[in-house]
Amino acid sequence: MRALVIDDSRVMRRIVAGILEDLGYETRQAGHGREGLDVLDGGWTPNLVCVDWNMPVMDGLQFVSAVRSQPALRAMTIMMVTSESEHTQIVRALAAGAHEYVIKPFTADAIRDKLALLGLLPEEVAL
Amino acid sequence: MTDSVIDPVDTGERRRRADAAPVITDLIDEATIQSIAEEAWQALVGEEEFLVPLPGDAPDDAVSSWVEIVGPWNGAVVLTVARSTAEELARCLLKEHAPPVLDDEDVEDAMGELANVVGGNVKAVLPGPSVLGLPEIGAAPAAGSPADTCRVDLLWRGQTLTITARGAAGAPHDPSELDPHENEVPL
Repeated sequence: MRALVIDDSRVMRRIVAGILEDLGYETRQAGHGREGLDVLDGGWTPNLVCVDWNMPVMDGLQFVSAVRSQPALRAMTIMMVTSESEHTQIVRALAAGAHEYVIKPFTADAIRDKLALLGLLPEEVAL
Repeated sequence: MTDSVIDPVDTGERRRRADAAPVITDLIDEATIQSIAEEAWQALVGEEEFLVPLPGDAPDDAVSSWVEIVGPWNGAVVLTVARSTAEELARCLLKEHAPPVLDDEDVEDAMGELANVVGGNVKAVLPGPSVLGLPEIGAAPAAGSPADTCRVDLLWRGQTLTITARGAAGAPHDPSELDPHENEVPL
């Protein structure tokens, strides 16, 4: 399983990527939405993208819209991981095409539970 | 008689008061900010990490991180700690992923992320819609009116941590600060 972690905070990227790697994911990281699109355009297709909302250059919502406009990438699961916690923001993200939404601060268990809901826990972890 | 009566001594102050931007102390209290910070600390810093509501000594080498909030209330949520505390926080956030030697970017990044998480959850409590800015690090932005400041003094591992939600400098908050002639049209 592969995951792309997009966040302008290097620390937060390491935290999220670390949780996913502990679950058996192979990860790559990007510092904003544009960098994330570059990774995808380079042919590395992940099963999961974890993307922050507020970032310079291209924010998470713009990234989600850009990905959803590309038919080849529509099957990819996108999870917003953000401190934007208002209901209206969650609705906006889901309407744009995100599958799940994790509010910062979160625990490793919260990420794991969301992945289980999405059917994205690697088999050896899910058992 | 139900005819409306025009108050001959209506100065318009009541309307101006209603129109004035809210102050932070009307929107959130210290306990709520502390609760938000505790949740952030336990999720990001460590499950056994606690914040004690006691003031500590002001650090000589303070590091501040903040996020701005723009909306019905304009201001910033600012975290301030000593440099050594910021480094300890960065190590806690990174846990086993922390490099042997932390560089400035790691420390600033960790402080920025804590401000982002605390500020984002403060924003959720405020009336919206509001926009959250990107985290910034350095000398904290100038505070506005003292009446528009909500300050929480805490100790983390015995070290001083101050969190303030402070109105933007220059924003009129007290109706008496408003120019009474601002909206008048010359006859």
